[in-house]
Amino acid sequence: MSVLQRQKKKKSILPGFGLSLGFTMFYASILVLFPLSMIFLNTASMGWSEFIKTVTDPRVVASYKLSFGAAFAAGIINVIFGTIIAWVLVRYHFPGKRFIDGLVDLPFALPTAVAGIALTTLYVPKGWLGQLFTFKIAFTPIGIIIALTFIGLPFVVRMVQPVLQNFNAEIEEASASLGARRMQTFRKVIFPELVPAVLTGFSLSFARALGEYGSVVFIAGNMPMKTEITPLIIMTKLEQYDYAGATAIASVMLVVSFFLLLLINIIQWWTNRKFVHS
Amino acid sequence: MSIHIKHVSKNFGDFKALDSINIDIQTGELVALLGPSGSGKTSLLRIIAGLEHLDQGAILFDGKEITHVNPKERNVGFVFQHYALFRHMTVFDNIAYGLKVRPKKTRPSKTDINKKVTELLQLVKLEPLANRYPSQLSGGQRQRVALARALAVEPKVLLLDEPFGALDAKVRKDLRRWLRKLHNDFHITSIFVTHDQEEALDVADRIVVMNNGKIEQIGSPEEVYDHPNSPFVYDFLGNVNLFKGRIHKGKLKQGSFEMDVPEFSGRNEEAAVGYVRPHDIHLEKIKTSADAVSATVSHIHVIGPIVQIELKREDAEEFLEAELSKEHYKVLSLQVGEQVYVKPKQLKVFIPEDYSI
Amino acid sequence: MAGHVPMQRAKTTVKLNHSSLKEPKVVQWLLTFIALAFLALFLVLPLITIFMTAFQKGLETYLTAITNPDALAAIKLTLIVVLITVPLNAVFGVVAAWLITKFDFKGKNILITLIDLPFAVSPVIAGLVFILLFGAQGLFGEWLFNHDIKIVFAIPGIILATLFVTLPFVAKELIPLMQAQGSAEEEASLTLGASGFKTFFLVTLPNIKWGLLYGIILCNARAIGEFGAVSVVSGHIRGMTNTMPLHIEILYNEYQFAAAFAVASLMSILAIFTLIIKNIIEWKSKHI
Repeated sequence: MSVLQRQKKKKSILPGFGLSLGFTMFYASILVLFPLSMIFLNTASMGWSEFIKTVTDPRVVASYKLSFGAAFAAGIINVIFGTIIAWVLVRYHFPGKRFIDGLVDLPFALPTAVAGIALTTLYVPKGWLGQLFTFKIAFTPIGIIIALTFIGLPFVVRMVQPVLQNFNAEIEEASASLGARRMQTFRKVIFPELVPAVLTGFSLSFARALGEYGSVVFIAGNMPMKTEITPLIIMTKLEQYDYAGATAIASVMLVVSFFLLLLINIIQWWTNRKFVHS
Repeated sequence: MSIHIKHVSKNFGDFKALDSINIDIQTGELVALLGPSGSGKTSLLRIIAGLEHLDQGAILFDGKEITHVNPKERNVGFVFQHYALFRHMTVFDNIAYGLKVRPKKTRPSKTDINKKVTELLQLVKLEPLANRYPSQLSGGQRQRVALARALAVEPKVLLLDEPFGALDAKVRKDLRRWLRKLHNDFHITSIFVTHDQEEALDVADRIVVMNNGKIEQIGSPEEVYDHPNSPFVYDFLGNVNLFKGRIHKGKLKQGSFEMDVPEFSGRNEEAAVGYVRPHDIHLEKIKTSADAVSATVSHIHVIGPIVQIELKREDAEEFLEAELSKEHYKVLSLQVGEQVYVKPKQLKVFIPEDYSI
Repeated sequence: MAGHVPMQRAKTTVKLNHSSLKEPKVVQWLLTFIALAFLALFLVLPLITIFMTAFQKGLETYLTAITNPDALAAIKLTLIVVLITVPLNAVFGVVAAWLITKFDFKGKNILITLIDLPFAVSPVIAGLVFILLFGAQGLFGEWLFNHDIKIVFAIPGIILATLFVTLPFVAKELIPLMQAQGSAEEEASLTLGASGFKTFFLVTLPNIKWGLLYGIILCNARAIGEFGAVSVVSGHIRGMTNTMPLHIEILYNEYQFAAAFAVASLMSILAIFTLIIKNIIEWKSKHI
């Protein structure tokens, strides 16, 4: 029994490391890693010039602009109204507040196809809301923006709410006691605290909206060059058995998604750093 | 059960948390691991419990090596700093847990478990709270449940990680007394970790003073307090006044202060520091000996039964702190601004170079 | 952490009553009105539309629509998919959360990102990848054909696509929860002599039960409602590979609006149910 022997390195005291590592890696690999890498493997076999031709085709580029632009617009709308909704839910009291609060999650719980047909029915020229406007809403980019706003609505609200709820009232009181008017307190003291949550909420809403299919495909009208979103182009190519084309465009979308994911993680890391250091 | 810690080392990357620690603990001893944060004391405790791996060395229980034995089999009772009570179980179920999870062969019957838990509840005086949940208890009550839970499995060793750290002063004192009594009644070999020297001096049979992963000194409370063997131990175990001077011809000299230091008669012209406890500083209004230093009273703090006097030396830009009992202070009737003569009754000299790393 | 909003666990509410600490009443009313109007417009109106259109041709048409054999087959298929995918992803979520929160290892961040990915990926792409793997021209296409196994354009494909899309829900709910709870209780359990399994079932599981339930509810809602991924992979074979959302799409595209909305109303009721249960869980976990 040597006293100075080198101990064999075990991972940790809590049990189950080997088992859980094996299972998790296996599951995540065959369901996520392997399938997603197929996109890039297939694209690689396509040849560079063919790839560029496919992903820069005017129709495809129009869909990028539409998907991006609509997702961005929807994100902005959700930031503005989502913050207001979060504020009202946390700070004010009115009958039925708990019910409304619960309702905010509806876009998470409702199937996208159901949302899609409901919104379309509302905004077609003969629909309840469609008939109130002289211009067309359904089958135009406006309709797309509306659908994407619906989908992303809960993200900003649910990100901002906890920040407001945990907000240290003493900071507001300090600001007021130093003579600041309400708007100043809001602008200089409260809003900066909300910025990370708002940014995260925007990014989540944006990322979701970019790839959204079910709720958009009914209201969009799907006219090439005008109201065709990128996921739909992929779908169309699949239906025509143009797997290569579908894969090429999918790889572009994936790269954007990864980038967004990275961005979201950076925002959250930056937020944590801010609070850990302070 | 005796515990032998042999050459235990632990690294976290480049950081040496423990550096070749050697301690021998006798059966039934109550030992304190005392040191500042980062000294490695909690790491050592957790290694003894099996909650962390060591990189080098061995741990022996009763002469048998248990370094590779997992915590489940070591039969140690561990009391966590923040209690780690099972939040979804009642007090009763928490205490009964260790008995209930035994494999069928060694599991006591339900009646036996009930009996044992009730005994423990009586011991920690929490019987009426048996059906409460941890969130409904005060800090002191939770700590007692944690102790009862650890004792339920009749461990051979009891390990406590800063057991009273999160409690109020009064509760801490009561629990300290209670832990001491418990130990006297049951004689389980116990090790507790603390950064509070008062606690260690009050409760322990022996104190292991640790710093930066190394042991500074091991000894009884009296030993480490009265005969600290390094500046660190001296400073950590209580308040200190410093006389920074030089050794010259067998005396420590600083300004007008002079004191015989026969133990350093061989060393000359070396920088040395004299350490004196505040209560070893003798104050008088008239200079009765040549080596008394003149100083002015700058502050007087009356803190309960003790009076702290802050003094400014006249011969050096330095402050001294003296501590007197209230009666003594009244007898002297000192005022701020008064001139007094200061003489250390007991001085311990260290030469800094001997202790630099 | 894309695409996921964990259960609200905030405990404090802001209570400010001093006049310079609150907006003028007019502003309060205005903001409340804007918020409620927005929510009414975007959430309430669509819901009402669903039910009104469902019943616009009368109760009999409604009942016929939901008891029609194709509709029943769609309901049955949706149920099968849910019963297989939700438990699988729940188990994965628990195991992955245990792994990530209790241990440190190289590649942990890669694993966390991997689990995040399905949230960031468009559902259409989620379906596409399985076509690339198991479709006729896919990687395993020929092998499957030779062994007469159908994955895409059949139920297994639908299950795989749904598994992909709902994979993160339980894990993303449990990971922050277990991280916040720490491992002290598990360590205590080990020192008291309990085995790893006993520790998990007696100590960990009760502590995470509300988070687990919450994750399962969300996973369930998404599995029922998934459209894009399943649309790609199912082949739309009526009566066989149509889930409820796909069935709704077919009815709608054939202009059978009342029937489409009838089935949609069923799904909406399920969604409302989900919301209710979700809120109950949130309330319960705050009041432990």
